[in-house]
Amino acid sequence: MRFAHLSDIHLGFQKHEALQKIEQDVFERAIDECISRKVDFILIPGDLFHVNIPEMRVQKFAFKKFREIYDAGIPVYVVYGSHDFSPVSNSVIDLLAAVGYITKVTRATSLDDGRIKLDFLVDEKTGVKIAGLSGLKVGKDHEYYEKLDRDSLEAESGFKIFLFHGGISEMKTDSGMDGENMPLSLLPRNFDYYAGGHMHKFNSQKFDDYPRVVYPGALFAGYHSDLEDNAKGQKRGFVLVEFEDKIKNVEFVEIQNAQYKMIEVNAENRIAESVNKELQDKIREIDPMQQIVIIKVNGEMTSGKTADVDVSAIRDELNQKGALVVNINKNQLTSKEYSITEAKGANKEEIENNVFAENIGQLRFEQKNLIGESGVQLAKKLLAGLIQQKLENEKTADYSARIKENAFGIMGLDKDAS
Amino acid sequence: MDEISVVGQVVGGKFGDIIIRQKSGSNLEIGDLMVSEENGSFLILQVFALEYGSQIQDKMQQMMSGVTLEQGIVDAQFYEPEFVNYVLARIKPLARVYKEKGEVKIPKSLPLFFNKLRLITKDDLKFLHKEKESIFVGYIRSGSKVIKEAEVWLPAQDVFSHHMLIPATTGRGKSNLVKTILWHVLDTNKVGALVLDAHDEYFGRQGVGLKDHPRSRENLVYYTPSNPPAGANRLTINLQSIRPEHFEGIVDFSDPQFQAIRMAFRKSRSNWIRDLMLTDAVDAGMESSSPARGEFTAATMMVVQRKLRLLLSLEKDENGVIFSRHDVFDSTTKGLSAVEDIVKNIESGKVVVLDTSRLGDEAELLVGNIIASKLLQKYKDAKASGEMDRKPVATIVIEEAPRVIGVDVLTTRNDNIYSTIAKEGRKFKVGLTAITQLSSVIPRSILANMNTKIILGNEMKQEREAIISSASQDLSEDDKNIASLDKGEAIITSIFVPFAMPIKIPLFEDIVKEKGIQRDTTKTKVF
Repeated sequence: MRFAHLSDIHLGFQKHEALQKIEQDVFERAIDECISRKVDFILIPGDLFHVNIPEMRVQKFAFKKFREIYDAGIPVYVVYGSHDFSPVSNSVIDLLAAVGYITKVTRATSLDDGRIKLDFLVDEKTGVKIAGLSGLKVGKDHEYYEKLDRDSLEAESGFKIFLFHGGISEMKTDSGMDGENMPLSLLPRNFDYYAGGHMHKFNSQKFDDYPRVVYPGALFAGYHSDLEDNAKGQKRGFVLVEFEDKIKNVEFVEIQNAQYKMIEVNAENRIAESVNKELQDKIREIDPMQQIVIIKVNGEMTSGKTADVDVSAIRDELNQKGALVVNINKNQLTSKEYSITEAKGANKEEIENNVFAENIGQLRFEQKNLIGESGVQLAKKLLAGLIQQKLENEKTADYSARIKENAFGIMGLDKDAS
Repeated sequence: MDEISVVGQVVGGKFGDIIIRQKSGSNLEIGDLMVSEENGSFLILQVFALEYGSQIQDKMQQMMSGVTLEQGIVDAQFYEPEFVNYVLARIKPLARVYKEKGEVKIPKSLPLFFNKLRLITKDDLKFLHKEKESIFVGYIRSGSKVIKEAEVWLPAQDVFSHHMLIPATTGRGKSNLVKTILWHVLDTNKVGALVLDAHDEYFGRQGVGLKDHPRSRENLVYYTPSNPPAGANRLTINLQSIRPEHFEGIVDFSDPQFQAIRMAFRKSRSNWIRDLMLTDAVDAGMESSSPARGEFTAATMMVVQRKLRLLLSLEKDENGVIFSRHDVFDSTTKGLSAVEDIVKNIESGKVVVLDTSRLGDEAELLVGNIIASKLLQKYKDAKASGEMDRKPVATIVIEEAPRVIGVDVLTTRNDNIYSTIAKEGRKFKVGLTAITQLSSVIPRSILANMNTKIILGNEMKQEREAIISSASQDLSEDDKNIASLDKGEAIITSIFVPFAMPIKIPLFEDIVKEKGIQRDTTKTKVF
């Protein structure tokens, strides 16, 4: 018996047309691979979509593909991720579940003593027992896991899988993305397989009482830094697991996505002119045709403005030579002459995180969820909720109501109370 | 002052050693605090010695005793005994408090001659108000009487950056005090702490502990190598985090051994320990027969391997993967960001408790060294980039401190990170909270830098002398006082308190009972 484990597909994340095509293509090929390998079921622990309601183009190809899986008789078990989560069941995930293409795993009931009971669902064909928790509302993850009725989950016999969406501290391989991880000990023990989502790099580990904890990683890219990682050789794909009464084999199935060229320039203690020259030299050494070109300039220049590092000319030149996409990252470029104190970060997510962390640090509120790490997470969720664009043909009033309702949900407020 | 509250009257003595006659029935105790009210101010004085006084000559008293003892006279009494026989107390001035401004100053004059004194009350201690971001250590104690309304709070940022010493022998309430301090550190994010918990006693895995603090979920991070309770982290440090300099001042390596270690590091960089442990010393051509290559003998290599194996409890499995028996060190991909995560938590003002109970002495210090080095470096960088003000004060709580800042360690080995922090950490807002039974083996230069000492009972004279001679206030008359401190009683001497304060530390269990987390039994809304 075998199952596939995919996560962090982030459908709808890409804004550039060429990247959108790759995003769709990679997803379709991964699903085709699952079907051709005759998996018994598919697990997707979160962030299948980049937002809870992606644009129609994305929904169209996603529905088409899920229909194919459905027709092939392969059940798909899903929990919400941090991106496609909707506190009011207003996510395309719910739509897919309503038509029967996927099954939401979380079956939680609240007990009178404050604990949360999670029930298993049983995969009909294999008898595998599956339980899971979604990536939850801000700051609630810890609370939910702490309140779990662990005994009943741990005592259950048979082959068990736990789906979850969240970073595990013990499995971090780098120090980026702070404040979003939880210790492994929060997960109930003694499951045969822990299907994780949220961490964007493939990682498979064994721990005492947690025989196999696996993150397949993003299928293509869900953060801006993912493309950079891809350019540096990060493999993308999904995980195929063979099992009987125990796990027999965990295989990472690579799904190729694109060709990359990476150019890095260290501007430390240099002037813009010499940085520009090095950039020019380096781009002339590469053939960017049909390639995703990632350019990263970092360090502190001795003089001039960071804008003096002329990326537009470089972009034009690469585009003329047929580059698929040119992605230039100057976030870590500073200049001694024009230094300003601002939140630092290697990418958009880190900068957002740091900006919120710095500013929230100045605030004094009674409500604990508005300050500290939970405040940062809340602000980030709220930002993500508020920047959602209007859908095609959506009326302004509907759009406004939807955004408001989502924002109230994120903040845990009752909209009628306003 | 009403006559009822009078406990004695100044009858003689000199500055620092004033003699008062005790009013009959007052029953003064060593350590009692009393007040001499004067114009516009009052003096706080403390009893440091008690003796008998009598208007009858010694020989006469002895003769009278003979009469009662030998002749069986049972009802012999002194005529007006309260006038004839009495107790003399020797007291010293601690502070002068100016009533109008509430200022507290070091006293420079004697109390008025023949002035009547009374015991201190809560109203006299109003100057002890809680300031913002301070930590509670206990209540003012007058002798064995506790004045519960007079709480002693120390300014957290100052005391931690200027290092704290907690000298005490076993059973005098050390861990109760440390838990009480850390409990209040958890209240805010103004102090970050790294706690090397060699007995796994602070978190409260069994029974009450810091985990019961209402803000423990946000501000307490617990790492343990074994079977972490729900919500706790597994203490796994990747061998890649260890660099040769982390062993300095901790482990005894000879020069050639250190050279071998540095060479291994240069060769393999991050995976140097793994590669070194897997190297066959002889096959690697490191025999003494190749001196021209300037390398080391196979024997040196083997000693290094053996020392590392013992120190880190390393073993090799059948696939050639290096692992540690207590699971704290990992050679694969676990724990790669543990050090960075711990440091970040401290920088965010959290308390990080590391359960090092399964580690040997040196391994515990090594783990602390790796983290403390990174922490100090980050704070140094923050100072260089002008971002220091945003950071909380950081303190490293270490037990049996002479292991790293003892005279013998510092003279026979190189400086380690703990001694560096003791010497220069203050400039970078990084301090030590050192707990020890043996203050006498810590060099005076370091002891003098520990500007807050919370002295618990200590029956060893040599240790008391070391503490007294390095105290921030004059404790020269307090030798007996320190020796007689009961469990939970302490004296705080610090540049941040106006006088050496006698305190009573409350029972940690009582604090938890009063302020601890209440289990939420309301129904949880589920999605």
